[in-house]
This record gives sequence, C-alpha cells and structure tokens, in this order.
Amino acid sequence: MVKKCIATSLNEALLFLKDGEVTIVSGGTDVMVQRRNVAGELPLHDKNVLYLKNVKELYYIKEDGDGLHIGAETSMSDIIADKRVPKILRECLEEIASVNIRNSATLAGNIANASPAGDSIVIDNLLDAKLKLSSVRGSRFVDAKDFVIGVRKTILEKDELIEEIVFPRRDYNHLYWKKVGSRKADSIAKLSFAAAYKLNKNKIEKMRIVFGSVSIKPAQNKSLEDEFIGLSVDELKAKIPYFVDSYRQVISPIDDQRSTKKYREIVAMNLLREFLENIK
Amino acid sequence: MTKFATSVKKVDNEDKCKGAALFVDDIKMDNMLYAKSIRATIACGEIKSIKLPKLPEGYYFIDKDDIKKENVVNIIYSDWPIFCTGHVNYYGEPIGLLVGENRGKLEELAKQIEITYKEETPIFDYSKSYIHKEYTKGDYASAKKRAVKVIKESFESGYQEQAYLEPQGMLVYPDPKIKDKLICTGSMQCPFYIKRAVMRSTGLGEDKVRVIQPAVGGAFGGKEHYPSLTGSQLAAAVIKTHRPVKMVFDREEDIKFSTKRHPSRTDLEALIDKDNHIIGLKAKIHLNGGAYRGCSGVVLSRALIALTNAYTIDNLDVVGDAYMTNTVPTAAFRGFGSPQTIFAMEMFIHHIAKDLGVDALELRKKHLVKQGDVTANSGHFHDPIILPEIIEKAISMSGYDKKIKEYSKPGCNKGIGMSLFLHGCGFTGSGESDLIKAKVKLIKDEKDHVYVYASSVDMGQGNKTTLKRIVSKNLGVRDDQVTFDNPDTDMIPDSGPTAASRTIIIVGFLMEKAAKNLKKIWKKGVRQEIVEPYVGPTYIKWDEDTMQGDAYPSYSWGANVVEVSYDPTTYQISIDGVWSVYDCGRVVDERIAFGQADGGIVQGLGYGYLENEVTDEIGRFRQKNLSDYIIPTAKDMPHLETAFIDNPFVYGADGAKGLGELTLVGGAPAVALAIENAIGKKVNKIPATPEYIMELVTNGKD
Repeated sequence: MVKKCIATSLNEALLFLKDGEVTIVSGGTDVMVQRRNVAGELPLHDKNVLYLKNVKELYYIKEDGDGLHIGAETSMSDIIADKRVPKILRECLEEIASVNIRNSATLAGNIANASPAGDSIVIDNLLDAKLKLSSVRGSRFVDAKDFVIGVRKTILEKDELIEEIVFPRRDYNHLYWKKVGSRKADSIAKLSFAAAYKLNKNKIEKMRIVFGSVSIKPAQNKSLEDEFIGLSVDELKAKIPYFVDSYRQVISPIDDQRSTKKYREIVAMNLLREFLENIK
Repeated sequence: MTKFATSVKKVDNEDKCKGAALFVDDIKMDNMLYAKSIRATIACGEIKSIKLPKLPEGYYFIDKDDIKKENVVNIIYSDWPIFCTGHVNYYGEPIGLLVGENRGKLEELAKQIEITYKEETPIFDYSKSYIHKEYTKGDYASAKKRAVKVIKESFESGYQEQAYLEPQGMLVYPDPKIKDKLICTGSMQCPFYIKRAVMRSTGLGEDKVRVIQPAVGGAFGGKEHYPSLTGSQLAAAVIKTHRPVKMVFDREEDIKFSTKRHPSRTDLEALIDKDNHIIGLKAKIHLNGGAYRGCSGVVLSRALIALTNAYTIDNLDVVGDAYMTNTVPTAAFRGFGSPQTIFAMEMFIHHIAKDLGVDALELRKKHLVKQGDVTANSGHFHDPIILPEIIEKAISMSGYDKKIKEYSKPGCNKGIGMSLFLHGCGFTGSGESDLIKAKVKLIKDEKDHVYVYASSVDMGQGNKTTLKRIVSKNLGVRDDQVTFDNPDTDMIPDSGPTAASRTIIIVGFLMEKAAKNLKKIWKKGVRQEIVEPYVGPTYIKWDEDTMQGDAYPSYSWGANVVEVSYDPTTYQISIDGVWSVYDCGRVVDERIAFGQADGGIVQGLGYGYLENEVTDEIGRFRQKNLSDYIIPTAKDMPHLETAFIDNPFVYGADGAKGLGELTLVGGAPAVALAIENAIGKKVNKIPATPEYIMELVTNGKD
C-alpha cells in the first residue's frame, strides 16, 4: 500500500518528501495518465504520493529585483492570464493541450515531467529561467537548461520539489517561438523552435536558440550561441549556411508515431534559416 | 433555393446535457461480472499452449470451447471467429475472455496468462486476394483503339478510425423472468444484427434473445458489425456463469482492436480521344480487408460502383479485390468504400485536365452525369439530377472560379479545391425490397398517444427526432403526442440496420406511409395498430454477381469547396474556408441536417489531411490514442457554410433522400485538391500530411 499526503503547507510537503521515493502530483495532467488503471479502479501508484494542490503558498506570480517568480502550483491558465509574464511564455502555454487541462496543469509539473515533447521547457531555457529546488535541507537554484538530463530524468533529488520558477529580466530585441504540432489545438509537438537575439549598434550582443522535441531534452548549444556575438547583421547572414549545418549536428530527431526524423530535421532547419534571415 | 424545414429541439438533448442519458457503461446490475479480452500477441501463427493461472472462486476463462453452437461472427461472410480457433490471424485477435467481479483483479490475472505460439510469416501487402469483383461497360478494348492518349496513375488512402465519443461496450444478462433467455444491451447501430449473431453462436431461438438499445454515443459504421462480435463473446460468458457480464473498452483498446476504414490503392488508366473526351476508364481497386472478410465484399462493391462518381464514361473495365492481411479486420465506416474511389476519381480527372492542358472544371462539366444516363453498371439515373445548379451555387458561395486562377500563380501559398460527388442511398440494388424487407409499426393507444416502433438507432444523428416528426406531421398531431423509444427487439419489427444512409429515405418513407394509413382509419379513443412493409421502386433491378443493373434506388449529390493556406517552412496546411452544397431530396429538420453536414465534412477533411493511422512490423496500429491519432478540433476548422437545394424523391419521406454519408465523401478530395493547388504538385495519397507534402514539394510531379 502506498502512502499519500495531501499537503496544505510547503513545510508539510517537504517533511513528507524527506523519507523514501515519492511521486509528486502538481496538476496531475501527465502523472494521472501515466498511472491510470482500468476504469473504476484506483490509479496504479507504485510510490508514495504527494499532492500539492492544496499548498496555497505555492500559488503566486510576483516580481522583484531578480525578475518574475512563478510559484510551483500556479496553473497554466493563471500564468497565461497574467500580463507580467513574458508574452512568449504565455503564447507557448496557450498552445499546450486544451483549456481544461491548462486549468489544472502547472509549469513546474511540465518541467519535472521531463518529456522530450514538453513545450514549456524550451521557453524556460530560452529565457534563462532558474528553478528553486527545495527540501528540508534547504533550497538551491539551478538553471532550467541543466535540470532535465534524460527522458523523464531530472537532477531533482528524492527529497526535493520545485518551489518556484524565476524568469530573470531580459532585453532581447526579438523573441520567436514556433510549435509545429499535428493540429491547431490539443496537440503534442512534432518539434518546436524558440530563439531570441539582442542587437546593439548593428552587432549581435546576445543569441539564444533552442529546439524542442528533436532530442531527449531541449537542444541548445552555448558555444554556437557565442559564435553569433559580435557579428554584424550582414556577417551573420553570410554565415547562415554555416550555422544551419552546425545546428543540424546539435539535434538528433527520431521517427515515431507523430512524425519522421527527416521531417523534423528539415523543418527545424527551415525554421532556423527563416529566423536568421529575418534578423534586421 | 430550398425552403428549410424548421427545427425542433432534439428529443435527446436534455437527457444528454444533464448527464441523465444512460449509456451501457452507466448500467450496473446485481452480481454483475466484468470481462477482459485476452488477445494474441503475434500477427500470424498457431497457438501451441495456453497456461492459465489458478483462477480464484468466481473468476472464469471463456474461449472457443464455450461457444455452444457456431464459433463465427454473423456477418456477411462466415469467416470471422468469435474466439481464435487456434490459428492466430492478427495481432490482438481475441483468444478468450477473463471474467470476474473485480476489474483490477482481471488485469492482474491477465498478466499471468502464458501463451506460446508457433509463428508464421504474416502478410501485410496486396498479395492475397480473398474477394474479387468486376464489371464492364461498353467495350474498353475497342475504345482503346480510338484513343489518342492513355493516362495512368495510382492513388492511395489510409486507415480511418471512427473516433466515436463512446467506445465499444456491451452488457449481456440472463432474462430475470424467462429461463434460458439472454438480453443484450450496448453501444450499437443494428439491434437485429446482434440478435441474429447471438442466436447463431448460442443456438438459442428467436424468442430467447432480446436486444435493447441504451443511449449510443456515436458510431459512424464502427458499431454496425463489431457489437455482433462482443455480443456473441459475452453471450458465451453469460451461459457459463449465469450472471450479467459487461465489457466496455477504454479508448486505447478500442483504437487498437476495433474495425476501421479499409486502406486502399486504386490504379487507373484513362483513354482520351482527339476531342479531349474521356472515352474509357480501366481500374484496379485494392482494399485491405484485414484478417477476415466480414463485410469487405459489400464495401468492395460500393467502392467499385462509386468509381466513376459524378461522371458518365462510356467504356469501363473495372476490377477490384479485397486482400487478406494479418491485421485487424476492416469494416463499415461512413461512406463504405466510396470515399476511397471518389478520392481517386476526383484527383485523376484533375490530373488528366492538367496533362491535357485544359480547364479541370470544364472537363468535369463535359462529363457530368445527367438524368437518363447509363450508370457505370449499365443501369440508369432515373431521377432528376441538378449538378449544374449545385456547382453554380458552390461557386457563388466560395468564389471558386476567381480564386482558382489567382491561387494557381506560384508563391501565393494559397489553394482552393472543389469536389463533386454522389452517394447511392440505401442498400445496394434491390436489397431493400428483396433482402431487408423493412417493416415499421405504429400503435395508437386508447388515449390517442402514438408509439413508433422501428429498429433505427439514434446514435446522435437525430432520427429519434426526425422519424417522430415525420409521423406527427403526417398524422397532423402534436409532436408530444408521439413517442419513439429506443429499439427493443421484443417490441419492434425489423426495419433494418441503421446504416447505408437509409434511415430517412427508407424507414422515414415507411413512417410517412404508416402515418398516412393510420390517419385514414383513425378512431378516437380506440387502440389501433399499423404495420407497414417496404415497397420500393419496382424498376430497380440488380444482379450482384455480374454487378449489372441499378446499383441503388436513388442518389444524393453534392459539392464541397475547400480553401487552404500553406506554410512553406513547415509544410503545414490551414483550412481557411469550407463551402458545401447538397441535394438530399428535401431536408426534414434544418438543424439536424446542418449537424450531419458539419460533422460529415469535418470527418471527410480529417480523412484527407490529418488522420494518419499506420501499422508496424507486426501489424499493430502505431497511433493508439487520440493524442497521436489526429482528428480535427474546432480550432482547425473555419466557419462552415452549407446550402441545401431541393430535389424531392418520390420514394422518400416528403421527398428526402440520404444525407449521412454524402457529407463525408467529398471532404478528402476537396482538401487534397486545395493542397495540390497551393503547392503546385500532384497529390496521389491521403492523408496529405505535412510529411507527405514535404516529399511532394521536393520530389513531386507538377
């Protein structure tokens, strides 16, 4: 028999996490599907279960000097409705699943689920988001891009949970996001592409490029991003074939029931090329 | 323009909105057991051994040895076993049922069953024909001598999943009052099909099997034959356990193992004379029928008959085969064979026009079917045909004529396509008069309340409302003075299956006659009863062996125009406009007709550009749920504009003909033609997914 805890405070949640393996339910729109049983029977939980829905102190969106903080239990719908949230994140969340799922699903849950097809992780990486991981031992901040390490694998310790996601302030000239799904709503990405740049006096000062659903985790390459820095727009345009060839090596798409390796690779590179060509 | 029949509130609206309507999964009975299918895990081979765990008290395993009479599902061909005979023919073939009180326990026990096989090499291609049909018209060989040009092409279509809201489910229980009598209730289209299937497998008599329809959440053909399988399986379980036994699939089990639309390949050859006229067409049609024939012969028949679609071509040489493959059997689905060949024909005639350098619409207009023309099967189009009016209306609604020119310019990334189509209403040929022989019954009680008895199932399409309206209107009584309860085979005459777009044209026509006859003899305050047998047009003659004669008693017609935009970066298609014009004789209820029109075109469009279902190396479906098997959502569809044009049919209720299937068959070619217009490459396959469009853009033919 598994134990369950419907925590009403962060402290209670952290104490429950302290001993043993625990499945954390934060929204539950993925985990309850993964653990589903035949109709009429209880879910097939193989570990103790912690429900965070009633931890009211984890419902918040607030701004301070570090940037924007989103509490782990804030629903996707509430994040979408808050104009302080970066527009690109709101647009991304709005393309996830359907309204009823977004009313329950959380950003923290989407990150911790660590699906290769997870949409929001791509934007978290693009925006240099940080995750606050907490346990009874204390809290630590990690970069979102280092959090996922494999298919459904993260660096989260057994006794930790995601307490909040922090988006530092950024001053990009342009941010771009495209989800290539199978239809216009309620769709799992075949691939996605997110990019941002900062241009200062006709020179690239900052570049972020992230691909989703074409690797086991969002595909990003720091040294390639650094190669953009200092290029003028014309220099960058001359190097588009080079960057496209280089980024082709960064991704490793597969054939599956949703699309093909070939389609994913070609469209990912089409999107990159189109983004770079439109820089002005 | 048509003067619309007004709409009334659908009689099932309130119960369904409130959640009060009882579907089979809502029905719980005392002592009820659940069943779980135990399925083969290979595509082809002999079962060597089945080792069961020790079953606890009250748990049972039911298999072929528990079938009392015949281990065969009563469909047209008697080759589909209820439980595997020992030789597995597809992955997922039911070997037996585990039956018991607790569903969790059943799952646990199922995991402990050990089955060993001697595997054989499965077949997945079009190499083993198990049904062959053919017909000719005119003299193809001599036409070929006159031809100045011969054009050949092939077209392919994939599986389609019905994706009804309510998955398959069935409950069978012993009659509490009558010994040895079984009652079946479940998600169904054809109560009498289940009754006859259970009678055949159990050996029980007519008076010992009763089928009662609960609320049904959609079917689209998927519940025409499959419930005969589950009904027969559960009947065996009830005979063994003497307790009610229920089996309801979850979505994944339903998608993985229930019947779907036949994948197809159509090879075509057209003969063109010096005036750019199509003087001949040769076709070889391949349907993937799956492991067992079931109803594939009839689907093949309709595919062959529909081939020339809305066009008259004088010389034909048409052959078709249904092929055995080691996959889930395919069966009925809205359109029943015709969506495959109508897609092929619509694309082909456009490709011919392109190759000849002539305007496709002009070429089509020159070949349009007219009243009195000889059909593909050498029968006649007896009734008025208003295709020119339909086309004119479709063009004025959509702006097709201007847009097609504009969008044909390279680089504009927009496209428009128009499909023309027909659908034969009712069963093939004289089947309605000779085989089905439908009957309906009206009973008026002493309080002058009228009860309608027919075997037509309302699975959401609205016939509880429309058939009732036909009766009340013709009796001249208020709507609430007439009741139409869900069919119960102990109460109703057999008015045939709820299929083949026959409910309004055949059953509705009978209701009209019955009501008129009841009105003639109406005596206030007296119980009266009318039984009305079907008498169809006597001029309809059909020979199924030679496929010669009048293939259907009548035809409905239509045009769909679809406008798309195309994203050259992602190869994705967005549907921007949909305009439809239909001739279904006359509309009975406006809102219900629009419901059919909207649902049908969306299902047809999905078939054409989204709904991708493929099998893996052992014949398993790769898309197993509705996140991976993609049907359109409301966001994928623009506002749908639909018009109906009156063209009343003498043998239809108030002139009505069939509508249900008509609204689907033109969707796939219309969207495929629009995509073709947008990308400037020929589309030869549906669904035209972005992956396929990418291939076309790089390697396709202009």
